[in-house]
Amino acid sequence: MLKKLHIKPIITLCLFVLIFACSKSDDPDPAHEEEAITLVTLEVSKVGSSETTKYNFEVEGHDHADEDHEDEEDEDHDDHDGEHTEIELEANSSYNVSMFIYNDTDPNNVENITSEIIEEKDEHQIFYAITDELSGFSITSASDDTVDSNGNPLFIKTTWTTTGETSGEVVGYLIHKPTSKTGSTRNDFGGATDFEIDFEVHVE
Amino acid sequence: MSFLSFIAELLNLKLNKCKCSRCFTVPKTAVSISLLAACFCYGQKCDLKLEGQILDLHDNSPISAALIKVLDNDQAVFSNDKGFFILKNQCSGKIKLKISHLNCEDIYQELNLNKSVFKKFYLEHHIESLEEVIVEERKIKKLSTTANAYSLSDLQKDQYSGRGLAKALEQISGVNVLSTGNVISKPMIHGMFGSRVGIIYDGVQIENQQWGQDHAPNIDQNAFEEIRLIKGAGVLKYSGDTPGGVVVLENDLPMVNDSLYGKSILSGMSNGRGFNFVSSWTRSYNSGNYFKAQAMIKRMGDFSAPKYILSNTGTDENNISLTYGKNKILSHWKANFSYFSQEIGILRSSHIGNVNDLVHAIELASPTIIRPFSHQIASPKQSNKHYTAGIQFSKRNRSNGKLNAKYSWQRNNRKEYDVRRGELNNKPSIDLTLDTHDLFSNYQWKRSNWSLDSGVFLQIQDNFSNPFTGTRRLIPDYIKTELGTYFTASLSPSNDFSLGFGFRFGHQNNHVKKYYKNKRWNDENYQDQLGAFVIKEVLSQKLVEQRLIFNNLSVNTGVKFPLTEELKFSLNIFHTERAPDIAEMFSDGLHHSLATIEYGNPFLRSETTQKLVLNFEEKIGKFTYEISPYYTRGQNYIIIEPTGIEYTIRGAFPVWEYRPVNAIIRGFDLDLSLRLSDRIELKNNSSWIEGYEKATKTPLINIPPLTTTNQILFSFSNWKSFLMSLSSKTIMRQNQFPNHNFEASVVENGKRVNKLVDISTPPKAYHLLGMELHWGPYPLNSNKISLSLIFDNVFNTSYRNYLNRLRLFADEMGRNVMLQIKIYH
Repeated sequence: MLKKLHIKPIITLCLFVLIFACSKSDDPDPAHEEEAITLVTLEVSKVGSSETTKYNFEVEGHDHADEDHEDEEDEDHDDHDGEHTEIELEANSSYNVSMFIYNDTDPNNVENITSEIIEEKDEHQIFYAITDELSGFSITSASDDTVDSNGNPLFIKTTWTTTGETSGEVVGYLIHKPTSKTGSTRNDFGGATDFEIDFEVHVE
Repeated sequence: MSFLSFIAELLNLKLNKCKCSRCFTVPKTAVSISLLAACFCYGQKCDLKLEGQILDLHDNSPISAALIKVLDNDQAVFSNDKGFFILKNQCSGKIKLKISHLNCEDIYQELNLNKSVFKKFYLEHHIESLEEVIVEERKIKKLSTTANAYSLSDLQKDQYSGRGLAKALEQISGVNVLSTGNVISKPMIHGMFGSRVGIIYDGVQIENQQWGQDHAPNIDQNAFEEIRLIKGAGVLKYSGDTPGGVVVLENDLPMVNDSLYGKSILSGMSNGRGFNFVSSWTRSYNSGNYFKAQAMIKRMGDFSAPKYILSNTGTDENNISLTYGKNKILSHWKANFSYFSQEIGILRSSHIGNVNDLVHAIELASPTIIRPFSHQIASPKQSNKHYTAGIQFSKRNRSNGKLNAKYSWQRNNRKEYDVRRGELNNKPSIDLTLDTHDLFSNYQWKRSNWSLDSGVFLQIQDNFSNPFTGTRRLIPDYIKTELGTYFTASLSPSNDFSLGFGFRFGHQNNHVKKYYKNKRWNDENYQDQLGAFVIKEVLSQKLVEQRLIFNNLSVNTGVKFPLTEELKFSLNIFHTERAPDIAEMFSDGLHHSLATIEYGNPFLRSETTQKLVLNFEEKIGKFTYEISPYYTRGQNYIIIEPTGIEYTIRGAFPVWEYRPVNAIIRGFDLDLSLRLSDRIELKNNSSWIEGYEKATKTPLINIPPLTTTNQILFSFSNWKSFLMSLSSKTIMRQNQFPNHNFEASVVENGKRVNKLVDISTPPKAYHLLGMELHWGPYPLNSNKISLSLIFDNVFNTSYRNYLNRLRLFADEMGRNVMLQIKIYH
């Protein structure tokens, strides 16, 4: 009687469990990284010249160790670790620099995030930290730069002004939800760093 | 008011119950049968018929010759040999019945008669052989005959009703709390946490992604009457892979009688400006049926450290649990359902972008974002839901064997929200759904001096990681199947001497489908070892399908006996084998709070540990001590630690990877108590622990520092029902820690500088004073009420806790005053 009573429901439950557990055997969908910023481009053009130079800063895990970029298209101006991207500028000149931000996780569907950042200008801030070695070099907001609702320029479009020959490092940050929209060093802005691009400026 | 009087009536009913246990002393003939008594009918209908059947509660067999007596009019009949009886000419309205039978306890029952009815009545046979069973069924079963089980008293449990299971358990020496902020906390036993600590509720282990440091157990401890803990894998019936310890949450079996009882606790907290309300009710019937309902609601706002508000640290929690069962002593079944839902805010400032942000956060004395107090919970936050449904059945046979069968289903959904761009902010970054089915059956034999317990179990677990989060999966999709068996035996040749032995074997099959990024794949040279398992390639990712099989055998043995008349001694050895967690093998993602990238290690093997626990307990007059040293040796002990820096466009991130090591963990727990008089008691509990890698002597991370708590409990002779306690807790600085500090290069004020990122150095020692005032219980109508006033961190000390993951960002909570009102219904 005991067997009759309890074995049956157990078998039924077993079957139920197995069916339930095995019903989902499809392959999982690949995750699409929507938020990721994987490519930042600086388009530099000298005022008065129609020539534009593109500098790409690609992302995704630049390991400290040497590596072979097998699925990345290597360009001359790529940001390799150790040897920073070098941006060559002429002395006593002005340059218009535009920043473009992309997510190219899916090469067939490269997303341009620039407009999204511009739209959410109140929540973002771009900041260029210029090291002291780069004397006489300055970055200011361009006349066609985006301005947030409090009148603070986003620094997505900038004017770079050079004087004498010099060289040094510049770090560009995109800061998400900064606690302050102005400052002279990265920490003044608070918030979280969305990207950090590192390059060398050579003024010759 | 009518409700209260209803309860009063029920209580009266309970009191009326006859306590005659040896009913055969009542001579049958002494009961006079009166003939139809004249009935006073004030225009009432007195032609109703009450028919019934008297049945044995335990096996439903009919009981003949039971006397059914109407107390209002002395009318009485006997039940026939099929247990049936008929009472004719009853008036409408309330009637009181007394049913008595040889060998049975009398039962009294009230009926509201308005038409002729048929009703079944259950009598409980107190046959000699059953007496023992009844006593045994009603008491809480020992978890282990040789290993010490530590339980929380009602006062200890209720005090922490709003503060989570881990914090309640922390009152036991050797238990620490590993936390992420102030709310997310998980118990750590003897330096182990997560998958190494089993939490068993209602006979099954909770499955809620317990591997993560920031994943608190999704359980409401208020739904359980008994909370007990064994420091070691001492309950092989439930788990064999938890060398840290096992926490067992259970409910008492309701008595077989007609009653309604319950408890409600309302707590208000000053820090966080919130409240917590818990209420539980049990309705039991003479037939052995019972129904239990329990619910909890909690609303807390931002907590405060002594100097600032900890912005976005509020919590909302709503839980409910329902149980319906039938307890016939010899057989018992029950079905239960519970729902747990929690939303926890995570300190806003702890969400950072990269290592440079981390350096900045560490340098600052206070969090970067401090907002006015709020009850709002914004990102970053966690939203967890846990559903449980189960059904179980047990049956005893006359030879003292007991068969149990149980099925349980758990669904855990965990959503973690990060601070994200635009619309993504409302989309979780992690969305995991874990379904677990457990099927369990065991058989117990019990004799006067030995007992055996053996069973089989099957677990099927399915994890689904929602791909629409727009982030990489932290945990891949997998199906885990575990089939196993266990056997435990205990022998007590004499009253004081116990021997125990047990084993548990589990065969585990993990069917995993995981996407690897080509970059990681190439960096780690996975092609050689995992290349054969690639089933698909998309978007520069490889989908790998693997079946990983682990066979684990855990063995326990222990002995407990008195060394002298007063000195009790026990020794337990636990050998445990634990299959690596899916997270340990396959995790892949970014942790914002520590700005770390975490990678699993797909080549891990089962972790084995041996743990030896000694326990000495002695009472010398007014003084009692208990000292419990332990030694744990782990092979393939899985730890996570930094292995390098990864540069991404977000900046630099330290990479943390899982690695197996040989580890030693040892320490002792000490509990002292001195009862100076009836009114004053002094207590101390302390624990010391150290853990290191055997080969290099490198200390293990997150090992709790030396902790000691002194407590004075006193009451006054002229104040009845009052208890006061002062407690002073000292937590020393942890001086043994692995140094995972690294340097980060930061541009600051126009200069590139190298900065030390100090993520390892433990915070300073600290001292906390607590005070508790308890009044009651006092009678309140037919209920009882008690009141507590509890002060935590009386001196409003600013401190940071080594075991809090967010310690780099903010101080711990400041002073908190809690008022608690407890009503026993």
